[in-house]
Amino acid sequence: MRGRRWMHHDTTGEFELDLAPLLAVIMKLVPVMLLSSAFVQLMVIETELPQVVKEAIQNNNDPNKNLAKVRLEIDNAAGFKIYVTEKGQEKESAVALKNGALDFPALHENLVALKKSHPDVFQIDLVPRAGVEYGDIVRTMDEARRPRDQQITFPVFDAQQNKQVQTPFMFPEVVFANSLESGL
Amino acid sequence: MSRRRRFQVAAKRPSSFALNINSLTDMFILLLVFLLQTFSTASVQMEPLPGMRLPSSNTNLNPVEGVKLTVSENELRIGDHVLATLENKRFQTKDTDVKDPNFLPQLFNELNKLAENKEDKEYLKEGRVLLQADARLPYDTLRKVLYTASMAGFPQLKMVTMLGN
Repeated sequence: MRGRRWMHHDTTGEFELDLAPLLAVIMKLVPVMLLSSAFVQLMVIETELPQVVKEAIQNNNDPNKNLAKVRLEIDNAAGFKIYVTEKGQEKESAVALKNGALDFPALHENLVALKKSHPDVFQIDLVPRAGVEYGDIVRTMDEARRPRDQQITFPVFDAQQNKQVQTPFMFPEVVFANSLESGL
Repeated sequence: MSRRRRFQVAAKRPSSFALNINSLTDMFILLLVFLLQTFSTASVQMEPLPGMRLPSSNTNLNPVEGVKLTVSENELRIGDHVLATLENKRFQTKDTDVKDPNFLPQLFNELNKLAENKEDKEYLKEGRVLLQADARLPYDTLRKVLYTASMAGFPQLKMVTMLGN
């Protein structure tokens, strides 16, 4: 027993963690992150589309294809009017105002039905009247771009694979048809 | 006895003490997670003008390079340069062409100046415009901008929107 030293062992297993270096790193990171943060996320509406859809849109512009032309008029006083010109004949359908405001859900249903009957058409000519707000125009474009129900897809012919494929796009190509007109 | 206690010199204590920074670290970690979520990876950074309300859209494409046009309820800007002022959300007669009321001569001249250096940048060659416009503006006002931009050789319009439905 002589010469034997009794060592004290800490049996609790707890120790003090030094968090100061971690805090120093975070303090340096926070200003960098603050500078590069986007608190308002901005996006753009453009026509970056899959190749198959792009080809289909190019086909839409081919006058020899004789595809239907779709024109959508927006009027704060009368609602939406959809004109489909096919083989020289024009068909008109209207989406009336609901409680004095534009009825976007009804427009969406009409456009889905129209796309089902004309799956080859991807372009829509938009004709807003002078007083229509820009926010309503963007919302109309949203309603025309894709179906809300993600289960709904439309057939499109892929020339490269030589077969029909499915696409969720309805009318992604929007043209402001009256932007160069003198009167509205 | 009580007087003695009053004048008693306080016992000397160590001047340093251990600061508990656990809660501070917790807070910073939460802040870091929040900042990582809002970290922007877009190549083009844009800031809407104060008081401006951009339209919401369900598109999820990041902005691309283009001539930055801003139309707020009060003014038309190209970059930071104010070109025209609006009254009741419409352009004033002094800012439009006498013969063609849809034509904005100041905007046309500025875009023309940019187009002269189009060899430098791809978006100038393609005629790409990034349009930030207030959601409450009437189409009549925007149409003047679209019309003039098309005339100046900038037909590719990219409409800046806010994420959300």
